[in-house]
Amino acid sequence: MPERIAPARSLRLGVAGPVGTGKSSLIAMICREMAADLNLGVITNDIYTDEDARFLRSAGVLDPERIRAVETGACPHTAIRDDVTANLLAVEDLEADFDPLDVVLVESGGDNLTATFSPALVDAQIFVLDVAGGGDVARKGGPGIGRADLLVINKTDLGPYVDVDVPRMIADGRAARDGRPVLGLSRLDRSSIDELTAWVRSVLHSFRSGSHIAVDPGPMAPHWHAGEAGQGFRHAHEDGEHSHRHAGPAPSPS
Amino acid sequence: MPQVLQGVPAVEPAGSGSAELMLMLLADARLPTGAHTQSAGLEPAIRAGLPVGCVPGYIQARLRTVSTVEAGAAVLARHRTRTGGTDLASALAEVDHAWRARTVSPAMRETSALLGRGYLRLVRRVWPGAAAVTAVARLAGPGRAVVLGVAGALAGLSASQLVRLIGYEDAQTVAAAALKLEPLDPVDATGWVIGAHPEIERMVAELASITAIADIPAAGAPLIEQWAEIHATTSQRLFRA
Repeated sequence: MPERIAPARSLRLGVAGPVGTGKSSLIAMICREMAADLNLGVITNDIYTDEDARFLRSAGVLDPERIRAVETGACPHTAIRDDVTANLLAVEDLEADFDPLDVVLVESGGDNLTATFSPALVDAQIFVLDVAGGGDVARKGGPGIGRADLLVINKTDLGPYVDVDVPRMIADGRAARDGRPVLGLSRLDRSSIDELTAWVRSVLHSFRSGSHIAVDPGPMAPHWHAGEAGQGFRHAHEDGEHSHRHAGPAPSPS
Repeated sequence: MPQVLQGVPAVEPAGSGSAELMLMLLADARLPTGAHTQSAGLEPAIRAGLPVGCVPGYIQARLRTVSTVEAGAAVLARHRTRTGGTDLASALAEVDHAWRARTVSPAMRETSALLGRGYLRLVRRVWPGAAAVTAVARLAGPGRAVVLGVAGALAGLSASQLVRLIGYEDAQTVAAAALKLEPLDPVDATGWVIGAHPEIERMVAELASITAIADIPAAGAPLIEQWAEIHATTSQRLFRA
């Protein structure tokens, strides 16, 4: 049997965050703004599966064939963290069917503040909160808020209606993130949309140049690294932060 | 290249302590192969009106039909992997074809192939240099039976252990999915799995000595197959299948 040529490895970008914060809308925004320049695909993990996929298809921002739903058996957290098999297979299928893809967006099923993606599934991740969910949420912290590659505080235009001090909430987010980026986003605020797309482009650029480092927001338990001579060494991350250097765009393990 | 796992021991003879540990590992729902996306056909069965009180009977029906065919094929794949031969890929492809010929529903074949990919991803990392892994990876979308047969051979499982693995996994998948689909005491669902033990041991007695294609049973379950087909085109599913 002939060897199949491996399709191009896309930048795999995760989008996590609680239910209703606007993950699907953010993905629709990225597709609407960037699909003319980039070859995109989307995987959704809604708890009742295809709700988000149907929303995105109906938004008309991407070829419906490029939007696929993965069932998680009511385990959205497991599907992005401790058993990423179903999502990885779906990403690989998209990469094979629409080769070469630039970016595959993986939307987690809305979960609580502790849900983050495994670096085995995504290269970078966005954590989405929204103003209407409460001004104190950014202050509560958690791995996604503290250490996702980008924290989006969505629906900033709603601040006056829900009595939330938006600059205060963004400042809380910055304080929780030790210098990592925070973006206050509104579909009505053109400059914030431009900031979002510029961030995606910058991550794609560093991914392609091989300089991108996938950062795991944790929580981390003590674990092993393979040493150069084949021996491992065990260590823990006291600060909950950990990074793995990726070899850049390379054929994915399968 | 995928990163190779450290510290995987060489194949142990069947019945050794290591094989028992591998059996537990392969039967563990925490194994990263995508098992949490599966209900072993229970979700469409319940949607079609199967009362929750009939779930133990559903488990038994699966074990007598779907799982018997799958375990029979897996036993033969394990046997062929252990006995080797010059063209193991073709020998395994023949087993996969035999399983396909006995699995009428296209949706069930597709689901099994997806699960096969999940196990193959694991097996390739755990035993990266094994000739049997190279052989099974050359097949076009093999069903789970053949991949598990290869995994069973490499893990040192006996044929009986392999049959128990497949029977237990199916019963436990139904029981665990039932807890997501219906209001139940989880201990009751565990009782269903224990109640399936005699049927699983019947499978062991029937299947463990299979060494030829013609010995793989051909038992169908038309209602389960129909439900699987309906589920494949249903929207808003909790489980993939």
